[in-house]
Order: sequence, then C-alpha cells, then structure tokens
Amino acid sequence: MASNFSGVLQLTDLDDFITPSQECIKPVVIEKKPGTKVGKIRIEGDGSYTEILEGGYETKLEKAKITLNDCLACSGCITSAESVLITQQSQEELYRVLQENKQLIESGRESEAKTVVVSLSPQARASLAAQCNLTMQAAATKLTGFFKRLGVHYVFDTNFARNFSLIESAQEFVRRFYDSETNPKAFPMLASACPGWVCYAEKTHGSYILPYISTTRSPQQVMGALVKDYLASCIGRSGAQVYHVTVMPCFDKKLEASRADFFDDVSQSRDVDCVITSIEVAAMFDKEGVSLADVEDMPIDTQLSHQVNGQLVSHSGGGSGGYLEYIARHAAQELHNSQLQNINYRVCRNQDFKEVLIEAEGKPTLKMAIAYGFRNIQNIVQKIKRKRCDYHFVEIMACPSGCNNGGAQMRPEGEETVKERLSKVEEVYSSQPTLSPVEIADVERLYAEWLGGVGTSKAQAMLHTSYHEVEKMTNALNIKW
Amino acid sequence: MATLQEVCSLSAHDKRAWCVAWNPTGTLLASSGGDKLIKVWGKEGDNWVCKSILADAHTRTVRSLGWSPCGNYLASASFDATVAVWSKKGGEFECIATLEGHENEVKAVTWSCTGSLLATCSRDKSVWIWEVTDNEEFECASVLSVHSQDVKHVRWHPHKEVLASCSYDDTLRLFREDNDDWCCFSTLKSHASTVWSLTFDKTGSRIASCSDDKTVKIWQEYEPGNPEGVATKDNEATWKCVCTLGGYHQRTIYDIDWSHVNGDIVTAGGDDTIRVFREDGGSDKNQPSFSLVASVRNAHSQDVNSVMWNPAVEGLLASCSDDGVVKIWKVAEQV
Repeated sequence: MASNFSGVLQLTDLDDFITPSQECIKPVVIEKKPGTKVGKIRIEGDGSYTEILEGGYETKLEKAKITLNDCLACSGCITSAESVLITQQSQEELYRVLQENKQLIESGRESEAKTVVVSLSPQARASLAAQCNLTMQAAATKLTGFFKRLGVHYVFDTNFARNFSLIESAQEFVRRFYDSETNPKAFPMLASACPGWVCYAEKTHGSYILPYISTTRSPQQVMGALVKDYLASCIGRSGAQVYHVTVMPCFDKKLEASRADFFDDVSQSRDVDCVITSIEVAAMFDKEGVSLADVEDMPIDTQLSHQVNGQLVSHSGGGSGGYLEYIARHAAQELHNSQLQNINYRVCRNQDFKEVLIEAEGKPTLKMAIAYGFRNIQNIVQKIKRKRCDYHFVEIMACPSGCNNGGAQMRPEGEETVKERLSKVEEVYSSQPTLSPVEIADVERLYAEWLGGVGTSKAQAMLHTSYHEVEKMTNALNIKW
Repeated sequence: MATLQEVCSLSAHDKRAWCVAWNPTGTLLASSGGDKLIKVWGKEGDNWVCKSILADAHTRTVRSLGWSPCGNYLASASFDATVAVWSKKGGEFECIATLEGHENEVKAVTWSCTGSLLATCSRDKSVWIWEVTDNEEFECASVLSVHSQDVKHVRWHPHKEVLASCSYDDTLRLFREDNDDWCCFSTLKSHASTVWSLTFDKTGSRIASCSDDKTVKIWQEYEPGNPEGVATKDNEATWKCVCTLGGYHQRTIYDIDWSHVNGDIVTAGGDDTIRVFREDGGSDKNQPSFSLVASVRNAHSQDVNSVMWNPAVEGLLASCSDDGVVKIWKVAEQV
C-alpha cells in the first residue's frame, strides 16, 4: 500500500503481508454480559453480525472502531492507519461541515452553525504559489477568496502563531542552559515542530529521547490555541462552535492534530479539527472547477495574521521555521550579551546536516545543528544514546530539505524535476518579508491580553505540550514469524 | 564432471546454523546461528578447529556475517535488529560498535570493496548504508526504502561503490551515490517469487541471483553504447537477464556464490543439496549456458542456508544448515 507519510513514519510500519484492517492488533474492550453462556453469531446479508443468545434474544453486534488516537497510542502499525485518517481529516470533512452550516442557515438555525476558520501555513502557500505562478501574497489573498466563497468565515496565516513558537523555544533554550548544570538531559534541545519526528521518537526511542524534545508547541498547535481559546472568546463562541482547519505541507500534521494532548475536555473540541494538505487543496480547486490564479482576491483576516505594508511577514532562517536561527540570536543576546550578525552554516555529512557555532570571548561556545531527513535523525539519536552529542540545539525535521519539501506538497509537472520544483518553492517562500517575533506588537499585546504575561500558567498551557512513550507491545499478536 | 568431497564436518551450533563467511585470505571461517553465537574456525594441521567464540553481543539469532576487505573487522547482523562490529586485534575479537536503527530483523550485512562503507538490510523493507569514520565509528549515510517487502540480502560490487539488494518483492535493486544521497538506479525483474540471495562475478558486470521460484538467473550489464545494441536509458547501464537455470532445484534456493577464483557458481537450498554450476566452454556472453558439474544430495540433513567459496583456494567451499552443522567441501575434478 502506498503511504503518504514522511519516510520516518513509513519505516516504523511493520510488514503488510495482510491488509491493514486485518493486521490491526489494538485490543478492543468487549462488554461482557453476565450469565450468558455460549451464543451463536449470524452474519446478515449486509455483512453485519447478530448475536443470538439463549432463548432466541438477538442483539446486533457493534463494529470495533479504531480511531486515529488508538493508532497513535499503539506501537503496531502506523502508516497502515491511513484509511482511518481519510474519514476524519480530509477536504470531504470540511465540505461536510460547510454543507451542514448551509442547511442550518437555510432552516433558520443560524446560531447552531459553526464558525469555520482556515489557517494557512506559509510552506503550503509557497507550494500552491509556485504551482500557479503567483507571489506569496497573491496566493494568500486568492486562497482567502477561495475559502470564503465556500463559506469559511476567517482565514489566517500560521506565520503569526510561529512567533509564539519561536519566542517560547528560545526562552526554553535559555532555561535549559541554566538547568544544564544540574540536569544532564537539558541538552541537546531538539526541535518539536515536526510531528513525523516526534511520533517516530515516541514510538521507537521512548523515554530516553523524549526529555530532549522541546516542549514548545508547533505553529499549527499554537494556532489551534489562538483560534479555539482567544478568537472564540473574542467572538463569543465556544471552542466546539468553531471548526478549525489548517492547510499544511505534510500528512504527518494530521497525526499531530489528532493527539489527545490537543483535545480540550471542557469544550469537547480539538485545537485543530481538520488538517488538509497542499495537494488536497489543489484537489478542491479541481472539484470546484477553478484555477487559483483566476480566483478573485479577498484580504486575509488580520486578527491572527501580521502584515507590514500589505505583506504577510515570516521569519528568517529557512523554510522549516527558522528555529535554529532565532534561538541562536536570542541565546547570543541572553547568554553572551552580544548581537549575532551573520549565522555561518558549515555543511557536515550532507546538505541536510549543517552546524553552527556561536562563539564569544570568555563565554561558553554554543553548538547548534540542522538535521533534516531520516539518516541525519538516526545519527543524532544514536549520538545522544551513546552520550556523544555535544550540540546544544538541533533543528530536526523528518523530511529531507525540510518543510518546503513536505510529503504533501505539489509534485513537479512534465519535464520539471523534483529538485527544480523544490528550489522554486524555496524561492517563493524566501520572498516573504521577515521580522523578528519580538518586533511584532500584536504578539506582545496577546502575551499580555490573552496569556496574562510571559511564563504564566496560561502561557504554559496554551503554548507547550508533553510527549508520551509508546510502549512496545509484548502482545503475542504482535509477534511475526 | 566433478565431485564434491566432504573435507570436514563441524558440529558448530546447537540450533540452526545460518551463515558461513571466509575471511579475505581464506584462512578463517566464521559461522553464526540460532544459538546467538559466532564461531571462528581455523586450520590446525589437517583439522579445522574453533579458534574463537563471539558471544553476548546479540539477543537473538545471528543471521549474517561479513568480513571487512582488510580482514580485521567482522560484522554480524542479527534478528535482534542490531548489527555488531568486531575488531580482531592480536587474535582476540572485541565488539567495538553496535549499529542500531533497523526496526526489526537484520537479514544481511556486507562491506564495500574499500572497507569504508557497510550495507545492511532488514525485514523492515529498508536498506541502510553506513559510513566508517576515522575513529572506528559508524554513521548512517543513507536509508533506502525502495523495496516493498522484506529485504533478504545485500552485496557490494567487487570494485565499485555499487550496492545490490534482493527481496521478498521478487526484485533486485542496484544503488549508487548520486550528489548528496544514495539512490536506486536499476530494478531487476524476472524472478517469479522471493529473491533470496545474489552474487557478483569477478568483473562485477554479471550478477547471479537465486529464488524461491527454484531458478538461478544470470544478469548481464550492458553499458550505454554497447556493441550488442541493447537499449540503455538516461545514460545508465541496462541489466538484462541472459540465462535462467531451471529444473535443477526441487525447492527454494537460499544462497548462491560466484567464485572469483575459477568462475564456478555454487547454490544451496531447501532440498538439502549443494550444486556447482560451470559456464560451458565457448558460451556466448549474451546467451550464456551453464552446466551442473557437481552436486551432493543430502549434503546436510536439513535446509542448507548459506554457501561460500574460499576466496584463495580453488574449489574449496563452506556450507551450513538448519541441522546446526558447518561443512567444508572440495570440488574434485574427474578426468
């Protein structure tokens, strides 16, 4: 079965000698009724099962349902769970919600309709812009026009949420630096924005690698908190009354959105209800019979997006978010009391493995690295395991070349090679103006207004998360011969 | 015609014996098995005796062994998902590294001709290439997930940094480094079932593969612009199946080895038989013919899992079996 997940997650798959549904080994809780002895089961014409008890009582047996969350908590297959994903997170689901909204409005029950919010990631936007020969800004306004015409209420830019991710990551780095005297697991701090990497670490490396992973939420999940907590309260709705969709460059983001950590029990809602990817958005254009270039522009909503001179702003330091670069600058300032000018990357083993040294006289040198793709992840993980990793921070991403090369980005067409397409996407991406997260007044205002300040318990709850070791199954069903 | 004469029989492993591997000079034979042990055998007088037992590195069956070209390192691949690298210093073997990363059973391990690269393959469907660093460390250079099933075996080209693998998906794949990473540049399809093993000839322009389909196939490399006029694509050599040896084996063929000393091919399989094939005199390179020149039925009392020609002594070979026994054989020519 072809899988869409990043290579990292595909590798954690077990062999597919039997089809996924048969292969699933997740134990199902069976409600046992006391007193009944042996019963019979009849298979009905429609394929359902009816249990016939003593005395002829019949009960229809329920199908065992496996949710995406079950899959995440299981060390069995993961990529085989694709069919589970398709029903819960797809453009079909977004269409269903929009259709429901329409029907509610038509029948005069407008208050029951959901507020639909779409948050666009800059990498997905770059991919669609490159595909349709648009600028980054035009892609934003055209995508806004496209979604709003379908009935979406707000469209935002996840660059905005990334400001919080960067600020929190940098502060966490400094905190770990001071802790490192007593905490042997303070360094290296490993980036947490890539869900493929996080899921792989939880499933295969368990407890020994998790303490190194930054607790800071990814931009997608910070956006989730901003939409479901901040925006919802501003517009007087509950989290459950808001339907939040993100547009992302990779399928692994669907797994991230489905994590139990991002489900709010009180409002019974997920921070991100649905993730659709670049190629799925392109499929929506096909379904609507439109080309993005021809869609009428509409301005992107500014409550949770930041524009300067009519341009959405992003961050410097590459297409995977610029974590290393921002942390390096912040750490130099806080720990070396110096302003970092240029950041010099030294290419090590390959183009996806680069090192940066931050040096200052009389101060401890900080060593950071970029490690993209599975082979480089392996070397970092094995070095940590052997206690031979001297990096302070590693920007880890599962995909070779990082997020602009995400598994769900648009594919090259015709004669174009994968490499040519990627460099086009990177060029479009890097055309965005950049600002340091601390230079954005709205971010500072939200820290005060929404979170009650920096480092508050609300900031901790909204901007951080935790990781869980997935224990290897010792269940006999898992043994393959 | 020739006969295969048993030189010696060694009760090597309490459980299945999975692999035999000669060191590059042919003076030592390593064997491994289901007892999680690796034994190294050497000749004392006329007898082959156990010189060393390498234990405690693996928690499950040791499936495959590979000597480095210099003969100073031995790599062992295990069903415990790890690969151990042993250094032979002053005759004593010491485990210097454990390579982790495969998700489950590692099926084969092999060193490149220069000794600077190591390749492994696993039931997790992936092929890994490891680089040996200056200070005896091993770093992952590439993870290749192109097979759709269990990868059974990997072998390096005898002179180039080109790797071949074979799989439960019935194909063989060839890999080489391209720019920044390794990539598959050729897929060899013709077998009708699992390809269990493969071997290059001395020149590296031919591959012999063996399969669950009970055949051996010979593949010939055709460079771009070859005089035979075999079509090539993207300035890449074409590998073509030029010969299929069918009708000889009654069951799955598990292993195959092409002698770099005299060009003979030896096979081992589920029919407990060892067979030696030789290319006929005057055989056409593009349509070669091979004849069975020697075979021993019931060479072992159970499946024969591994065979390898001694790299120095013509006609000498080692085999091992599910019966736990390691045997050394000599091809004796009949005049």
